[in-house]
Amino acid sequence: MQQVTNLASSAESSADVVSRASRGDTVAFEDLYRQHVGRVYGLCLRMTGHPESAEDLTQDTFVNAWRSLPGYEGRSSFSTWLHRIAVNAVLAKRRSPQGRNEISMTDDAGDQMDFEAHATLDDATPIDVERAIAGLPQGARDIVVLHGIYGYSHEEAAGMLGVAVGTCKAQLHRARHLMRARMGSENAT
Amino acid sequence: MNTIPFGPRNPPEDPLLAKAAELPKEIEPAHDLWPGIAARLSEAPRESRTRTFNWPAALAAGFVVASVSALLTWGLLRDSGPAAPVQIAATQAEDTAIVPVNYGPNSGITANELVVRDELLAQFREKFGQLKPETRDAIVKNLAVMQKAADEIDAALAKDPASGMLKGFLVGTYKQELQLYSSVVTAGDGLARRI
Repeated sequence: MQQVTNLASSAESSADVVSRASRGDTVAFEDLYRQHVGRVYGLCLRMTGHPESAEDLTQDTFVNAWRSLPGYEGRSSFSTWLHRIAVNAVLAKRRSPQGRNEISMTDDAGDQMDFEAHATLDDATPIDVERAIAGLPQGARDIVVLHGIYGYSHEEAAGMLGVAVGTCKAQLHRARHLMRARMGSENAT
Repeated sequence: MNTIPFGPRNPPEDPLLAKAAELPKEIEPAHDLWPGIAARLSEAPRESRTRTFNWPAALAAGFVVASVSALLTWGLLRDSGPAAPVQIAATQAEDTAIVPVNYGPNSGITANELVVRDELLAQFREKFGQLKPETRDAIVKNLAVMQKAADEIDAALAKDPASGMLKGFLVGTYKQELQLYSSVVTAGDGLARRI
């Protein structure tokens, strides 16, 4: 019973922080930043593979969230709302001339598997799931990150990425195939 | 408001996805990003709480996009008879009037989709100068309507990025833009064959 009370209190407290930030309280917004920065940065890093780009995008995400927060109506959880803003920031960066060069780590065929994302991982360790995901082509990697790691449904991930649900499912199928092949070949050596 | 933590609703059956689901959700950046963010907050204009998305305007814009595009298609087909003047020389001058729709940061339109659009746009530009002046004007106006719709929807998406309906509107605008270019390319081909 105490646990239930604590959970309710925690939810109320978080809602209060969001509400205060929405009214312009930067201290409350910093609280939200501290609570969510790890997830936002993790998402950006996994989608881009570039720590520096991920830092820039994390900053953009929180600045955009600050701008849009007065209009946040709580229809989705705050963290989901924030993640959507982060995904939009990543997609916008990819569309930019700078982003096309900086973030395009692999072509859509997935032929260019060697990119900077590996620099964030320990090269001495055998290939693991994280590295296998980082080596996926962009479209397949996006869906594994959103669906596989962060637990969004195909419908939610499709909505975030602006693609059809069927495309998400096909990309996931492709991703699983590529990951199995890569991890299998690495383990065999 | 709620702060339900996100995560897998159901344990994935695939062992690889199960391992992916076990990966840490949080990765801390190497630097504290807050000072940089805080410095930008004062310069970031905030949206008004009372500002609401103008649904009738967006719906009207979408309707105009559809209507104008359909009329344009009909007009192009009607105008593409043997007497239609070929104005190759006008291509370069008029081409500058063509500004493709700029989709905002919240649109979710992907780089691949823009590549598809740009390829079609290149073909469209080749045909544009062959059109009658009034048809070219209609196209420029039509693109302006699409831009207005895209801007409004993007602004609304900034407030409600979870809205599937808004995403649908935006994808609809993107498709209308492609349809517009495609109509000209197709009609232009017919024109060339007749001549």
